[in-house]
Amino acid sequence: MSNTTDTPLVATRWVESGLALFTAALGGIVMFGAIEIGIGWGDAGPEAGYFPFYIGLLMTAASVGNLMLALLRSPAMSAAFVSRKAFGQVLAVFIPIVLYVGAMPFAGIYLASAVFIAWFMWRDRQRSKPYGIPVVAAISCGAALASYLIFALWFKVPLDSGVVGDLVAVAGGALR
Amino acid sequence: MSEIDSLMQGMALILTPHHIGLMVIGVLLGILVGVLPGLGAPNGVALLLPLTFTMEPVSAIILLSCMYWGALFGGSITSILFNIPGEPSSVATTFDGYPMARNGQAGEALTAAFTSALLGALVGVLLLTFLSTRIAEFAMAFSSPEFFAVYLLAFCTFIGMSKNPPLKTVVAMMIGFAMAAVGMDTVSGELRLTYEQPWLLSGLSFEVAVIGLFGIGEILCTVEEGLVFRGERARITPMTILRTWAKLPRYWLTWLRSALVGCWMGVTPGGPTAASFMSYSLARRFSKNRDNFGKGELEGVIAPETADHSAGTSALLPMLTLGIPGSATAAVMLGGLMIWGLHPGPTLFVEQHDFVWGLIASMYLGNVVSLIVVLATVPLFASILRIPFSIIAPIIIMICSIGAYSVHNSMFDVGLMLIFGALGYLFKKLGYPIAPLILAAVLGDKAEDAFRQSMLFSDGQLSIFWSNPLVGSLTTAALVMLFWPVLARGLKALFRARQGQARHVS
Repeated sequence: MSNTTDTPLVATRWVESGLALFTAALGGIVMFGAIEIGIGWGDAGPEAGYFPFYIGLLMTAASVGNLMLALLRSPAMSAAFVSRKAFGQVLAVFIPIVLYVGAMPFAGIYLASAVFIAWFMWRDRQRSKPYGIPVVAAISCGAALASYLIFALWFKVPLDSGVVGDLVAVAGGALR
Repeated sequence: MSEIDSLMQGMALILTPHHIGLMVIGVLLGILVGVLPGLGAPNGVALLLPLTFTMEPVSAIILLSCMYWGALFGGSITSILFNIPGEPSSVATTFDGYPMARNGQAGEALTAAFTSALLGALVGVLLLTFLSTRIAEFAMAFSSPEFFAVYLLAFCTFIGMSKNPPLKTVVAMMIGFAMAAVGMDTVSGELRLTYEQPWLLSGLSFEVAVIGLFGIGEILCTVEEGLVFRGERARITPMTILRTWAKLPRYWLTWLRSALVGCWMGVTPGGPTAASFMSYSLARRFSKNRDNFGKGELEGVIAPETADHSAGTSALLPMLTLGIPGSATAAVMLGGLMIWGLHPGPTLFVEQHDFVWGLIASMYLGNVVSLIVVLATVPLFASILRIPFSIIAPIIIMICSIGAYSVHNSMFDVGLMLIFGALGYLFKKLGYPIAPLILAAVLGDKAEDAFRQSMLFSDGQLSIFWSNPLVGSLTTAALVMLFWPVLARGLKALFRARQGQARHVS
């Protein structure tokens, strides 16, 4: 929640313009890709790029419209998009998610998930009743185990256990 | 009547312990995703989808549709007890549901909400039972131009009727179309928009977009708002239920009106959210207890809940008969049908008779099962919301990541989910709608095929979309819908000018 000591981080106008530029660029990329494969009229009717080209064109045109609106419409756009404190909270969740997803190919889904949940709970220790290590361990490992039981065993959708998982499997094989 | 016969066949098909078990599981999972922040019906169905690939289509659709009903019910629990709408469509329920809970009438509010939800859903299913065959028969005569015109109508209605700025709706929709276009072109077999990147060859799947936009995006928004659960206690005893049921018949008019609003908004792509708001404001306008609205009026709970559920169920009517989903969740289910190898549209009623009637029969039974399950488990699910956010959030994120991974068993999809998550956060904060993106991502290929085939018939003349009265009126209706805000303003100005003139003359 924003309060009086919170300073606004960025005006809505700039976020709005940034997103509009992003979608305009996306439209440009789509148009470029469409032109590469042909946007004309071939022997078998419209070529593969015909439809995507107009999609890209519409996307860019609408984005330019959004950009103009963001730059021209004054009062509402000057309002803060997000306060510094609130954005800090968002990043405090988003950055760990990025690390979690980044670690997945190496650590595997099970290990990465367990560490991710454990870290999230451990970080919350400034609350009145911090979680003890047994609780943290039980919940994080329990969640990983549950996902193994549900996905890999019950529904037969094996999840990637990553390089670490492979190593464990190799080590297990060697021991046997 | 053939509908009754077919329905009985469907009932016989689904009245097995296996299917009823699936219903209960679906409903429980649905309530769970409806209650948890960051997970909702579209998201839950997308997460469950990869697990249904090995099932029979009938069992799979029963599981997914029951999850949908469960999520709709779950959304009302959080709205009433916690003032947190678990689903956008249950926002209107918070207006009077939460005040009722604060007045100590939580049990009554919940019972009224669930019961009117069931009644609303049954009206939707009745509509589906008796209209679907006729609409499908009618649509059998459609060829590509007609289909494209119907798609156009759906997309234009989204742009013209949306509460979001039209240009933003267009951008969101085009992103969806572009996603659908990536990968192999279904007509020529050529690869397109892959930019020689191997990870784009198989295309971008809409499930990943749904999980990212709705799941991760929602979590980020929740974190920013600083989540506080201040829940009211709920005790539902059989006495409360009976007492509330005794009160309900006097609201028959509200119920009927809301059910009609819901059906209309569900069949046209207005969706459950618009339906519940509209029904709430209508109820307030016509109620005798107008002043009590917003302070805990039972009617203010009945109206949005009825409309929400009748819209949710009737959204499956255009999905089954025409292949056009009326809501984001229906769009995800439609994607599921295509993955299971079924072709949504009028031919479904001929080729997959058992599937269609099994689904319709399961909707009657599934909603009754939902009511029983939800009444029995409210305290359990309310206690889930009291689990601290620092435990529930990472688990939800884990479920989303596994869900995104299991679509194609690819790590790339998990990264893509993250990008969609960031996009979802920005979209939500800046008023871009998400549903059109999903709709376009699911329907993009079909709409393009219909368009290109029409162009082939006509040698590139757009006039084919006005070549007969049916397709002509559909296309014209689409354009009217697209420019509706402008037209409405123009008509109003004209009307006012006329009135001014008349007054001037007199």
